[in-house]
Amino acid sequence: MATTLLLEGLTKRFGSVVAVEDLTATVHPGRVTGFLGPNGAGKTTTLRMLLGLVRPTSGTATFNGKAYDELVAPVREVGTLLEATGFHPGRTARDHLRVLTTAAGLAASRPDEVLDQVGLSGDAQRKVGGFSLGMRQRLGLAAALLGDPPVLVLDEPANGLDPQGIRWLRSFLRELADQGRTVLVSSHVLPEVEQTADDVLVLAAGRLLRSGTLAELQSEGGGGTTVRTPDGERLVELLTEAGLPGRWLGPHEILVQASPAAVGELAAANGVVLHRLAETAGGLEDVFLALTGQGRP
Amino acid sequence: MTALVRAELLKLRTVKLPLWLLLTTLALVVLGVLATVLTAGLEGAPLQRDDPALLARSVASASSGSVVILVLGILALTQEFRFGTATPSFLVTPRRSRVLVAKLIAIAVTGLGFALVSAALAVGLSAVLLPLRDGVVTWDRTVLQVLLGVVLVMVLYGPIGIAVGALVRNQIAAVVGSLAWIFIVEQLLVALLPQVGRWTPGGASSAVLQLGDLATTRGDLLPVWGGALLLVAYAVVLSLLAARLTLRRDLT
Ligand SMILES: Nc1ncnc2c1ncn2[C@@H]1O[C@H](COP(=O)(O)OP(=O)(O)O)[C@@H](O)[C@H]1O
Ligand SMILES: [Mg+2]
Repeated sequence: MATTLLLEGLTKRFGSVVAVEDLTATVHPGRVTGFLGPNGAGKTTTLRMLLGLVRPTSGTATFNGKAYDELVAPVREVGTLLEATGFHPGRTARDHLRVLTTAAGLAASRPDEVLDQVGLSGDAQRKVGGFSLGMRQRLGLAAALLGDPPVLVLDEPANGLDPQGIRWLRSFLRELADQGRTVLVSSHVLPEVEQTADDVLVLAAGRLLRSGTLAELQSEGGGGTTVRTPDGERLVELLTEAGLPGRWLGPHEILVQASPAAVGELAAANGVVLHRLAETAGGLEDVFLALTGQGRP
Repeated sequence: MTALVRAELLKLRTVKLPLWLLLTTLALVVLGVLATVLTAGLEGAPLQRDDPALLARSVASASSGSVVILVLGILALTQEFRFGTATPSFLVTPRRSRVLVAKLIAIAVTGLGFALVSAALAVGLSAVLLPLRDGVVTWDRTVLQVLLGVVLVMVLYGPIGIAVGALVRNQIAAVVGSLAWIFIVEQLLVALLPQVGRWTPGGASSAVLQLGDLATTRGDLLPVWGGALLLVAYAVVLSLLAARLTLRRDLT
């Protein structure tokens, strides 16, 4: 049942836009792999290449060595949820699943079973057009589960879920991975996966920046000082001169690997106004923001 | 493939549109029959009340829904892209040509259903109404041939719609373009320039339905078998084009 995903040198160009560049990664069974990156990083494009929906400019993506379109019964081998589209608004939730069940030749009882699994039984006969984003996500997840597949590929499944739904999703993914399944889940909001992911792939501007365990990435965080200042550019310059690496967390916020005293004194000596100076224990979010360069003004 | 065809038929049955289009079709059939029955024998009308072809002409109205089934074909395809259901469809069946073939078969079957209901309605209505207007009712081979023609046209217009939808992809452009083509371009070509018009799908349909000088003002239509072959050729060539040009595109 265990399936390993292998992405090798995946590249996709849309005209002059390089959406994904030379991405190589392995996704292991029995683990939740978080596929992280800001909006536009290339997550969706990567997942769509993996699923044969987008043709790579170069590179390959395989499930135990087979490309998606070589799988004998794809629905039984890979479950997918791709953003909250893909529903006819005039079709009921149950009928949506019945269509897929029929095409895939699955047991007719599956739609009701998966609707129950995602907590949508009560809305089975309602038209999808009236569903909230969160309900559509649950329906998409139900569709992914139809074939009881050993692999789940989920693109931003937490979008539109309320906090309770996100918590439910986390434990649900955990459970699926604990059953030995391979779970690849993308997100641009780190905390959504921070508490569930075993492994992480960090993508920004189409390039893979890190791949490894979540713990490894967390350990990069270290401690330090966060500074808020209207004159960030200048402060970063000063910090660099002083040999203190500064990373942008936001347009006016910088993370420095130094004590608040060191940073405060440097700022005071050079007349840089500070709006905030605080010690921080570091953490994944800081690493993520700094890595992906999201904070840069 | 049967599973895929059943899934495509289920897609059609689980939304309201096909039912509305069936009702529209039947309304058009009624209007078509009424037009033939009420105008027969009027001054300047092409048909006299004692014309032995009167019944055949009247039941030819059973093909009125061809344009409706064409629109259903267009929508069945373009909606997959508009609503993004193409993604789950192709995830279940990564070999996209199989989805297209299943769609073509499903819409052809639907067209057959529409044709049978339309034919029954047109025959029944004509048989009842013609005598009331003192029209002759001649049951001959022509009537049978025309009914077979109705079935052929209704079965093929759906697949043509699927192919047009796949090639144009933009739902509104495909529907509006097709309607403009059928109601303006073809009408003018068949009526005024039949040597060109008879090669259009509409001209071929008129030939199959044996509409003769009802459709044209001068010149001839193709023979029945020629029209039938041409219509089949349109459906096949357009479908192959759709498969080649459309199915490879990225689904982002
Ligand atoms: N069909 C397309 N045509 C042109 N550019 C595209 C297309 N799809 C995605 N892109 C571009 O590729 C990049 C990656 O997009 P995407 O994979 O959707 O990122 P993410 O899912 O991480 O937000 C973006 O710059 C986006 O604008
Ligand atoms: Mg995305």
